[in-house]
Amino acid sequence: MRLEIRNVTKTFKEKTAVNQFSMELQSGECVGLIGPNGAGKSTLIKVISDILDPTEGEVLLDGKKISLMKREVGYLPQYPNFYSWMTAKETLSFMGQLSGIKKEELTEAIPKILNKVGLSGEENSKVGTFSGGMKQRLGIAQALLHKPALIVMDEPVSALDPVGRREVLNIIEEIKKETTILLSTHILGDAEEICERFVIIKNGKKIEDTTLTELLNKNSQNKLNIEMATKNLQWIQVIEKEEYVKDVEVIGNKVKVEVENIQLNKNMLLSSALSHNVDIAKFEIDNDTLEEIFLKLVVAK
Amino acid sequence: MNNFTVMLKKEFVQMVREYKIIWLPLVFLFLGMTQPIISYHLPSILEALGGSEGIIIDPSMAAQSGGEVLATTLASQFDQLGLIIIIVSLMGIVQSDKSNGMLAFILTRPVKVGSYIGGKLVSNYLFIALSVAIGYVASYFYVQFLFTSIPLADLLTALIFYLVWVLFIVGFTTMISTIFNGQGIIALISIVFLIFCRMIVGLSPIIDSINPASMSHYAMEVLIIGSINKGVIFSGLASILLTIFTLSITNHWITKKKFSNEQ
Repeated sequence: MRLEIRNVTKTFKEKTAVNQFSMELQSGECVGLIGPNGAGKSTLIKVISDILDPTEGEVLLDGKKISLMKREVGYLPQYPNFYSWMTAKETLSFMGQLSGIKKEELTEAIPKILNKVGLSGEENSKVGTFSGGMKQRLGIAQALLHKPALIVMDEPVSALDPVGRREVLNIIEEIKKETTILLSTHILGDAEEICERFVIIKNGKKIEDTTLTELLNKNSQNKLNIEMATKNLQWIQVIEKEEYVKDVEVIGNKVKVEVENIQLNKNMLLSSALSHNVDIAKFEIDNDTLEEIFLKLVVAK
Repeated sequence: MNNFTVMLKKEFVQMVREYKIIWLPLVFLFLGMTQPIISYHLPSILEALGGSEGIIIDPSMAAQSGGEVLATTLASQFDQLGLIIIIVSLMGIVQSDKSNGMLAFILTRPVKVGSYIGGKLVSNYLFIALSVAIGYVASYFYVQFLFTSIPLADLLTALIFYLVWVLFIVGFTTMISTIFNGQGIIALISIVFLIFCRMIVGLSPIIDSINPASMSHYAMEVLIIGSINKGVIFSGLASILLTIFTLSITNHWITKKKFSNEQ
C-alpha cells in the first residue's frame, strides 16, 4: 500500500482550502494531519476519500486513482451519521454489502467487529438511540469491516467527551497494528499518543512533515531543569563558573541551566549536583511540549 | 448481491420502518373511494343542502357511466391531491441523504451512482405504482357497484397509461430533490411544474405529444370512450425519454459531486 497525494489544490469559489499539497504514505504508517480550525484538514480528507474532486492534482493509491480503489479505503467522517431507523447490525451489513462483502462473510465478521469496538450487546439497538461515542465506534467498525489497506479518519475524537475519547483512542491504538492510518485532528495530545508522524497544515499548505522525536529535538534549546527540595545556593554558584554552562536562571527552588551540548553536559551537571549533596526533586531536559511547538509553527510561519 | 439490490432492499425496509408502506396506499385507497361515492350521492347531497327552489338537478348526471366516474377519479383526485401527496412522499428521496451526509458516505464505498439512483427510483416507483393501483382498483369496485361496469381491458390499458405519467412524476421529483437542498423548495417546484404540465394538456396537440401529463388524459379517454388515441404512442415515448433525461441529469449531478460543493 502506498498513498500519494500530488499537488492537490481545492478551491471553493474564491477560497482556496487546500493549496498545492503533496505527501506520501507508506504501508503501516500512522500519520496525524494536524492544523488549526479552518486549515483545510477536512477538505483534504474529503479529497483523499473521494468525496470531493480536487481542483488540481491527484490522489493515487498504489499508483491508481483513488476513485478506482474505494474497496481499499475505509473512511470515518467527522460526524458519522447513519440511518437512524437501522440497527447497528443492519448498518454494518448495509455498508459491508456496499463494499462488496458477501452476506455469509458478514454474519461472521459483524459480531467480531462489534466486539472489537466495544458495541457487542448493542447489535440490535437502533442507531438513532446511540450516543456520539457509540456512533463514532460504529463508524470505526464500518471503516474496518472490509479490511481496507488504508483508513482515513476525520477528527475521530474531537467531538467526544473524555471517556468516549479514551475509548476511541484505545481502539485506534489497537487497529494501528493492522493497517495504515491517516487521521486529522486539532488536539495534539491525541495525535502525540497514536501517531509517529505528523503533517502540519496551515492555510491549506503543508508547513511541516516530521516525526515526534525529530520535532521535539529540533525544538529543544539545550536547557535543563533542576528542582531542589531545599535551595542550595553554594552549588548554584559553583555551576555558574563551569565552562559548559552558558546561563543559569533561578526561580524559587528551580534552576534552569543552559548548557553547550545537552547530550554531553547533562550527566556532568548531574554528577556535580550529587557531589555537592544537592537535594534533587526533579532533573529533566527542558523540552517544549508539542503544543508549544505547534503554536510556534502555526502562529509564526 | 450487487449494490443495486442492496439499495433496493434498504429502500423497502425503510418504507416499512417509516410506515410509508401503510399510509401511502391508505391515502390512495381513500382518494379512489371518494370520487364514486361523492358522484353517486351528489344529487341527494344537493337536494338536502341546496333547498328545493331554484336548483334543477341535471337528469343526465345520474346516468354517468362507470368509465366516466373512474376517469374523474384520475383527473380530480389522483392528479390533484394524489399528485401532491406523491411529491411530498418523494421530496426527501435524495435530499435527506444529502443533508445528513449519507450520500457522500455511501459514495465512499465502491458504489456506482447508477446503482444508488436505480435502487431509489425502482423501489419508490414500484411502491407508488402499487399504491396508485390499489386506489384505482378500489375506485373501480365502487364504480362497479354504484354505476356501470368497465371492460377489464380498458381498465388495465388506462392504468398502464396512467402509470407512465407516474413514472415521469417520480423521475422529475428525484431530479429536483437532487439539485435543490430545501424540502420546501423541492416540493414547490415539483408541484407547480407537474400541475402546470397537467393543466396545459389539451391546449395544443404539439405540446401534448411531448407532455408526459397527456398520458393521464389518454388514460381518461380509454375509460370514457373505450378507444385508444393514436397520440399515445408518441406521448408515451416522450414520457419515457424525458424520464431518462431527468435521471441522467440526476446521475450527472451526483457524479460531478455538485451536492457537496459547499464546504
